[in-house]
Amino acid sequence: MPLGAYLTLAALVFAIGLFGVLTRRNAVGILLGIELMLNAVNINLVAFGRFHADLGGTIFSLFTISITVAEVAVGLAIVIVIFRVRRTIEADHLDLLRG
Amino acid sequence: MTAEAPAFVAVAVVLLAASLGVVLTPNLFHAVLYLAVALVATGVVFLLLDAPFLFGVQLLLYAGGVVTIVVFAIMLTERLVGASIRQASRYLVNGALLSVAVFVGVVSFLVQMPASAPRPAWAADLTAAVGRALVGPFAVPFELLGVLLVIALLGALYFARTEG
Amino acid sequence: MSAHVGAAPLALLVLGLPFASFLLLALARPVRRSAPAAATVSIGAITVSLLAAVLTIVTAVARPPRQSPSTTWWWIPADGGPMATVGVMVDDLSMWMLLLVTFVSLLVQVYSWAYLHDEPRASLGRYYAYHSLFAFSMLGLVLAPSFIQMFIFWELVGLCSYLLIGFWYDRPSAARAAVKAFWITKLGDLGFVAGIVMLWAVAGTFDFWTLFRMGAAGSLPADMLPPIMFLIYLGAVGKSAQFPLHVWLPDAMEGPTPVSALIHAATMVTAGVFMVTRAFPLFQLVPDVLTLIAWVGAGTALLAASMACVEDDIKRVLAYSTISQLGYMMAAAGAGAPDAGFLHLLVHGVFKALLFLGAGIVIHVFHTNDVFRMGGLRGHPRLWLPFLVATLALAGVPPLPGFFTKEAVLAGVFEGHLGWPFLMLALTAFLTAFYMFRVVFLTFFVRPHHAGHAHHHVPWLMTAVAWVLAVVTLAMGAQQAWHHQAEGPGWLPGVSVALAAAGIGLAWVMYQRPLVDPARMAAALRPIDWMARRRYGLDALFAGLYRVGLLAFSRLVGWIDRYLVDGVVNVLSAWTLRAGDRLRGLQSGQPQDYVYGIALGALLLFVIAQWRMR
Repeated sequence: MPLGAYLTLAALVFAIGLFGVLTRRNAVGILLGIELMLNAVNINLVAFGRFHADLGGTIFSLFTISITVAEVAVGLAIVIVIFRVRRTIEADHLDLLRG
Repeated sequence: MTAEAPAFVAVAVVLLAASLGVVLTPNLFHAVLYLAVALVATGVVFLLLDAPFLFGVQLLLYAGGVVTIVVFAIMLTERLVGASIRQASRYLVNGALLSVAVFVGVVSFLVQMPASAPRPAWAADLTAAVGRALVGPFAVPFELLGVLLVIALLGALYFARTEG
Repeated sequence: MSAHVGAAPLALLVLGLPFASFLLLALARPVRRSAPAAATVSIGAITVSLLAAVLTIVTAVARPPRQSPSTTWWWIPADGGPMATVGVMVDDLSMWMLLLVTFVSLLVQVYSWAYLHDEPRASLGRYYAYHSLFAFSMLGLVLAPSFIQMFIFWELVGLCSYLLIGFWYDRPSAARAAVKAFWITKLGDLGFVAGIVMLWAVAGTFDFWTLFRMGAAGSLPADMLPPIMFLIYLGAVGKSAQFPLHVWLPDAMEGPTPVSALIHAATMVTAGVFMVTRAFPLFQLVPDVLTLIAWVGAGTALLAASMACVEDDIKRVLAYSTISQLGYMMAAAGAGAPDAGFLHLLVHGVFKALLFLGAGIVIHVFHTNDVFRMGGLRGHPRLWLPFLVATLALAGVPPLPGFFTKEAVLAGVFEGHLGWPFLMLALTAFLTAFYMFRVVFLTFFVRPHHAGHAHHHVPWLMTAVAWVLAVVTLAMGAQQAWHHQAEGPGWLPGVSVALAAAGIGLAWVMYQRPLVDPARMAAALRPIDWMARRRYGLDALFAGLYRVGLLAFSRLVGWIDRYLVDGVVNVLSAWTLRAGDRLRGLQSGQPQDYVYGIALGALLLFVIAQWRMR
């Protein structure tokens, strides 16, 4: 398959993940959308690396996976703390930054 | 690699279907399961791209670790027995529009790509090369990554502590 | 007229001393606060000024022909000669005015010391400062060699009038009267300054002598001159209380009586007549304007005399009388006999001041201005004798000066072939005698209707000043009788004496020995009486114009300022606040909204990048 196919696939997954981020109410649901977007990025990286015979794509992908894992861990920890404090994790209710 | 094309199509379909499931299903728990499927499908894509090591890492960390964490989080944040894990969605149309727009924007660049070249030569398994790269040219980012993980661990511990 | 020229340094001394006195009193507070010191400074300065004025006249020399009587210095430089000069013009006209102004000023300031004895000390110091300033202003006006200098002093005199009329500024009526005087004279001054500037525009100079020469040589544009001279005349209309700008003078009686004697009898109001006389060579070039001046003067004289017949306030009678006599002077100038008018100005200054000061005496005695509450002073000749002398002079009884000058005025008007003005002035002479003797009888000789407080002890200073003026009046009469040359038609002296006698007789019959009831006389002349009592509606007209025109206009301007100008600013700030409020709504606090923002931004970047790549 040409490079374009992989890139298009990644773009689709990215868009779907964005849709999830924008529309989910639950904070955990938003994080799931973010996961999808990051996955799409990884596909992109690896595809480019493969088609340019560059190992950097794979290595970069490794890094992003690790960072994503860390981010998910901390993010979910925050969500749990919010739940403890405010008994809700509905994004609509977490509007303390309101202007 | 003529077997690659139908394989790609199949994996793509699975991946897309699972992604849609992640974002559309009302039940959060189901969403997590769909995510697991999507993550595995992504791993298969990596395989198709001659990155078996990455496939392994994906399965271990993502499909294994992240899904587990998320499940734990869901359990801790929703009222459990009898409680519904349903959630409605917010401004579906707007979100859909924007997502489509972003997709179109990205594709607009893709269509301007020159004609596809075939894949260059590539060793089947480059795990050793990856390892050598991690402690070679990419040593600093690798170490920093370690620091980051420590910080994340500490952060999570801090958040998880009980007050008082 | 200007056959003699006086020494300029002496004239400057006359001018400078009151100014120095004013400066001292204005700047040195301790001197001003001590009334005796202030009075001494002011009276001392004016006395020396008087001596210098006399010296100026005595040492005057004949003027060489074709030489300007002015001494000037450059003031506003410009290409091709100065735009304006300052200096003094010391000729016959100004020298006699110097004498009049300094003499009457001195007597009034001395009289004031006694009259305003009850005034708080610091206030009295302010009074004398104003007097010094006024003397300086009036002297500067008469010595001015150019229109622009005259105008500057003209305005200064107006300011002093405002300050002195409103001297008792905590009285609302006095404050209003001062403002009214200022406004009405200002109306005339608008015409004056417009005329002066237009004259400069066509002639290129303000200087009198130069203008006279140009006028005589015919180098002034004949079509522009009538409107210019008319505008300049308007200044005299305001300052000398000609119809219709006469309404401020009766109200100006709110000021202290010595002030009325000085500025509303002898000096300030005569500035308009003086100006017309001074600029007569220019007015001669516009006979139509002169005719207008004569008509307005005669009309004013008659109008004012009619209003004086129905006044109860002694000072107001005298104010109307002044307006009437100013009309005489203007009519003489308009008829082409400015010398007659000027002579009348000089003698009138003396005996009108005497009348006012005498009125001050009776006001002091009776503590009221109302003539119907006076009377019974037959046994005090030292109080009524000077007043009677002045009244006889004003009524035009020979051999007192008023007779000769009035005859000269009437002769001039008659010779000028102005029939109706002549008749108006003749009728005015009759009325003048009538209303003045009405006042004399009611004030001094009738039996008092009620036993009011009569403070018969009058400070000797006041009566002394009155006697001095009476003696001067008699002396002037004697001097005129000695040098008298009959002018005009032969029947004129007889007719004027007859008119005076008729007026006196009528007053006797109506008030002293009441054979004719004044009320029935008033009923017989009902329409005139009614209108005269209402001042012919002019006061009401001006008040209405002021309220409708000026106040309404200022209210409109205020509305525009508050609602349009301020409104714009307020609206802008309100919009800013509202916009800020609305923009605030963008910060919803919802994280997903921010993701929207980021996504939109990314889209924007895509679009820009595509554009760039095109």
